[in-house]
Amino acid sequence: MTSSTLSAVAAGSAVTRLAVRQVRRGALVILAVTVGMSTLVAATYLRTVGAGLDAGALAALARNPAIRTLFGEPVALDTAGGFTVWRTGTVLAVLLSVWGVLTTTRVTRGEEDTGRWDLLLAGRPTRPALLGRHLAVLTAAMALIGVTLSAALIAAGTPPRGALLHATGLVLTGTLAVAAAAVAAQVFPARAGATGAALGFLGVGLLARMVGDGVPVLGWLRWLPPYGPLALTRPYRDDRWAPLLVLVLASIVLAGAALALAERRDVRDGLLRPATGRPPRRWLLHSVAAFAARRTLGPLAGWSAGIGAYFLLIGLLADSMTGFLADNPRFADLAGQAGFAGLGTVRGYTATLFALLAVPVGAFAAVRLAALAAAEASGRLTLLLAGPVTRTRLSYAEVAITAVGMAVLVTVAAVATWLGATIVGADLALPAALAGTWNVLPVASLGVGAAVLALGRAPHAVTAVGLVPTAGGFLLKVVADSVEAPAWVSGLSPFAHLAAVPAAGPDWPAAAVISALAGVAVLVGAWGYRRRDLHV
Amino acid sequence: MAAPAIRTHQLTKRYGALLALDGLDLSVPAGEVFGFLGPNGAGKSTTIRLLLGLARPTAGQAWIFDTDAADVATAHRLLAYVPADVALWPQLTGAETLGLLAATGPGVDRAYRDELVDRFDLDLSKPARTYSTGNRQKVALIAAFSTRAPLLVLDEPTSGLDPLMELQFRRAVAAARDNGQTVFLCSHQLAEVEAVCDRVAILRAGRLVDVATVPELRRLHRTEVAAHFAGPVPDLHNLVGVDNVTQASGSVRFTLTGPPAPALAALAAADLTALSVREPSLEEIFLDYYGEATR
Repeated sequence: MTSSTLSAVAAGSAVTRLAVRQVRRGALVILAVTVGMSTLVAATYLRTVGAGLDAGALAALARNPAIRTLFGEPVALDTAGGFTVWRTGTVLAVLLSVWGVLTTTRVTRGEEDTGRWDLLLAGRPTRPALLGRHLAVLTAAMALIGVTLSAALIAAGTPPRGALLHATGLVLTGTLAVAAAAVAAQVFPARAGATGAALGFLGVGLLARMVGDGVPVLGWLRWLPPYGPLALTRPYRDDRWAPLLVLVLASIVLAGAALALAERRDVRDGLLRPATGRPPRRWLLHSVAAFAARRTLGPLAGWSAGIGAYFLLIGLLADSMTGFLADNPRFADLAGQAGFAGLGTVRGYTATLFALLAVPVGAFAAVRLAALAAAEASGRLTLLLAGPVTRTRLSYAEVAITAVGMAVLVTVAAVATWLGATIVGADLALPAALAGTWNVLPVASLGVGAAVLALGRAPHAVTAVGLVPTAGGFLLKVVADSVEAPAWVSGLSPFAHLAAVPAAGPDWPAAAVISALAGVAVLVGAWGYRRRDLHV
Repeated sequence: MAAPAIRTHQLTKRYGALLALDGLDLSVPAGEVFGFLGPNGAGKSTTIRLLLGLARPTAGQAWIFDTDAADVATAHRLLAYVPADVALWPQLTGAETLGLLAATGPGVDRAYRDELVDRFDLDLSKPARTYSTGNRQKVALIAAFSTRAPLLVLDEPTSGLDPLMELQFRRAVAAARDNGQTVFLCSHQLAEVEAVCDRVAILRAGRLVDVATVPELRRLHRTEVAAHFAGPVPDLHNLVGVDNVTQASGSVRFTLTGPPAPALAALAAADLTALSVREPSLEEIFLDYYGEATR
């Protein structure tokens, strides 16, 4: 080898190491969640489901369009592996693909937007090489997750063929999301646009799979990537590998397109170029709070669309779902063990699904406050804070606007559910729906409290800490209920203290205590934020 | 007497084991253009962060016109700031950014702002994402000067500007001075500091080394002298203030610090034919200070 090829190899491996450093922490968390959830469900299958399922009940379940739409087509529920795939498959596919999208746009487009890629590109790596290395590292991370998952499922006693197929399907879904995000990162002029477009692609894919699962005539929709082909593989029953070819081909085409496009555009510019100038839009710039509102409007519209679409579907399925569960009490029991009790009536069913709403609404809050921390870290807050604006005012303005956004989100969810239920003639009044969704606000506000605490103490971890009470609390409750842990364990979760509104009345004392905790956390966090040094 | 624009008492900042600023005592009278110099890592930016209340002092205190610097709601009504590394909201255009900063800042002179936009030749219709470093700096400069705030804190404000724009910057500083505003200028462009500053503070390793007018600094520092003689060259080696003597046939070069009388007397006693005296530039003074640190 000549010295120049040697140093080219060295340059390439330096880029690879950089990519690994930026990806590894998130990859390990995703790996732990993926493997942990799957193993837990597979290992506790006998205890939770066991022999309680007869053929008739299974056939009823498999036919019910509501079940098929929400959870996917049940395939091999009489085996631990098949049950695991049904219970966790969609959630994990969404988790892997969303993580893939967010990480890809962060480590490629995000790094480019900050100008850090200028430094790398001034050296030996070409643009396609740089992008290619990052995509390879992300693909390797997905593969690692898949290998570990299939080993864990085999170790849990499920047949190797099904375990391999299920894990491969999840890996390919994640890889496809990475490739799609890479294309979006070439097309859009900034990271946020690329992330939004790639998440939109995933959303449409999920909708196609849900409709394809729920409506037999439209079953062909399940050939659309990234989620549909997973349903067609039917692991642990038919073990079909052919549908995964769609995912492989789509990944290759998209990754190839991303690499080809990377060469055809200017660094820090997308193929889509916004007009270079525009007249000023002066609305909502007159105060710190107004500006917080302006920055929140776009993300709020996106979150509203997602939550609205999901709860419209919940409303549309209300009748079909409650009818099914009323006729098949064994599944109602199973659902109860998994944290979904009282699904047999429309009010019980909506109350259960409204409780879920605390997770995305809490996540919205965490992400908004993380955006404030990111603005600080990038130096964008410095000029604002050099004006007569206290950090107390700045943080309270952000919290207040975020709270308004949360109220909008729960209202959207209520109206969407009511609309869906009304279309199919299910019995759900708008005030009942509103009471149900507004009931989760105290729990979701714990997310605000945790995020503000992190803003004051550990501004790099605002999202992660902000998700602890809501997403973390929900997981804790589900896991604790699934493994029949002592009551105090699940009692730690705020969801254990959430009344099933509109099936029951609100638990006012619990709501008051939870709100007070959230309020104290906000006060303490804002105090810490005021007193600490600004991180720039 | 009016309150000083900036006053610090034993201002100290420690980051873990690193003592970034060590007992800084500084007073900048209102109406002065004050230069703040020091090599990288000397504590200049730390001082500015403490003055702006962006960081909290480990010990000591700072005041802006007799208001505690930590009371930003009051203190920041009296100042405007240009950071060394200007970060703007990428989706806002220049005009929108100026609008936001005017609405949340200490006030704005709109006519002067429009004039500055003209003079700095900035296209306000572009989103900040597309601005170069220099253009982002122009946005911050226009926003700061147009506040007409009594104190302007400028951290490396011209590092991204071309010479024409730097000229505009000097004009704006001169206008601020004429207006009675105080300017606290942190810069590595020593020619600029020399051109606009009344007094200069020199910081090294977190400590204040010197505060003086530029002519005073010169007097304190080495003047280069070259002398030519018709006859023998006098011996200057043992004279007070004389250093770095290099002798050649018929000429001598040396540096002079402090009062020049003894050296001049020695020169006058010889048969002097030509004498040149060159005052050091601020850059040479600066290198002198920091050269000492490495010696």
